[in-house]
Amino acid sequence: MEKPEQLIVDGKRLDGRAPEELRPIKIVAGALGRADGSAYIEMGNNKVIAAVYGPREMHPRHEAQPDFAVLRCRYTMAPFSVEERKRPGPDRRSIEISKVIREALQPALFLELYPRAVIDVFIEVLQADAGTRTAGINAAAVALADAGIPMRDLVSAVAVGKVDNTIVIDLMKAEDQWGTTDMPVAMMPRKKAITLLQMDGHFTEEEFKRALDLAMRGCEQIYEAQRRALKEKYAVGGTE
Amino acid sequence: MEVKTGDFVLPGDFLATAEEFVPGEGAYEENGNIYSSTVGMVLVDIRTKKISVFPKTKTPPTLKIGDIVIGRVEEVRDQFLTVSIAALVGNENRELPPPRLALIHISKVQAGFVKDLSKLFKPGDIIKAKVLNAQPELIQLTTIGRELGVLVAFCSRCRSPLDREGNKLRCPSCGSVETRKLSVHYRQEVAK
Repeated sequence: MEKPEQLIVDGKRLDGRAPEELRPIKIVAGALGRADGSAYIEMGNNKVIAAVYGPREMHPRHEAQPDFAVLRCRYTMAPFSVEERKRPGPDRRSIEISKVIREALQPALFLELYPRAVIDVFIEVLQADAGTRTAGINAAAVALADAGIPMRDLVSAVAVGKVDNTIVIDLMKAEDQWGTTDMPVAMMPRKKAITLLQMDGHFTEEEFKRALDLAMRGCEQIYEAQRRALKEKYAVGGTE
Repeated sequence: MEVKTGDFVLPGDFLATAEEFVPGEGAYEENGNIYSSTVGMVLVDIRTKKISVFPKTKTPPTLKIGDIVIGRVEEVRDQFLTVSIAALVGNENRELPPPRLALIHISKVQAGFVKDLSKLFKPGDIIKAKVLNAQPELIQLTTIGRELGVLVAFCSRCRSPLDREGNKLRCPSCGSVETRKLSVHYRQEVAK
């Protein structure tokens, strides 16, 4: 793909979205039969599966903690998920993303309820179009709730950034690549507590405030989609 | 907005203030408010002032008094034996979270006097037992009852599975005869 002249034309982005418009979201809770809890998410062209196992006995045993459960996350990208074949297996990037996802999910869980145990979260990116870590967090939160693991709140995540000097939400591939800033944000939507905030690029203080505010509003919308997915599977008669 | 019995809630949903209610199962208290920690249905108990959430999802198995479990004998001592619980009957598809080490006291092995516990259990036996005490610090089991006791036993000389002959067990390969606190389901049913 070649760099387009402009990423924003007449206030519209390359895919026709407004700057503060999310890509279409589809979430399915309990998409897998074998996992204790699972979810499938599509955020635009991102397709991600999350599977949760546990709480179960920790192997290797010496990594178990005597007074709380360990949360273990593994983010992986399928070889066919990107334009050029990605070499399978963990790499520097996916190890780092696994770590930040773990830290984004951890505050939402009551890990002290399951001493010596481990909760495994597997996030598989089937198709990537920028923002896979946020899509992974959204799917993992639904999968954890689907597994019946006690939680303080769900976790919703979205990226904001700066493209052609405009603050935009939910960046796609071209914007991520040629934009000036990318800032993924995850939060517990009911608690309004941020659990992940990374930034690649620069914002002025003013821009940062606006971007963060936009991200938090985006998380609310994603939370609604997560809520709908869980309701669809578990609420009888759709009452709330 | 008042939350009623039967409402569908998600983790983080506000249920009540801590002045009105105490949090039950599936609920937690934070900063003077009670929130749901589960995907499920609200249960409001006006009498005991307890607000809880009944899960609609599958949940990690938890032991309750009276549950039937299947486990492996780890160690046989003079007064008790230790068992590592492998599965909760009725919830075999999901691993039981730790701690899973349980204890059976000599007085809870069978009705009547037991002189020598090592004649009734040997390390490695697969047993079926009932939960007497489900506290995580000390899980206690009992094998009193016809259904409960050893499901599969292994020869203490050659480790091959023993065949039942009346109330005794005989090793098909080395011929040694052993005794156990047998379940009526000996080598008939390991798990459903």
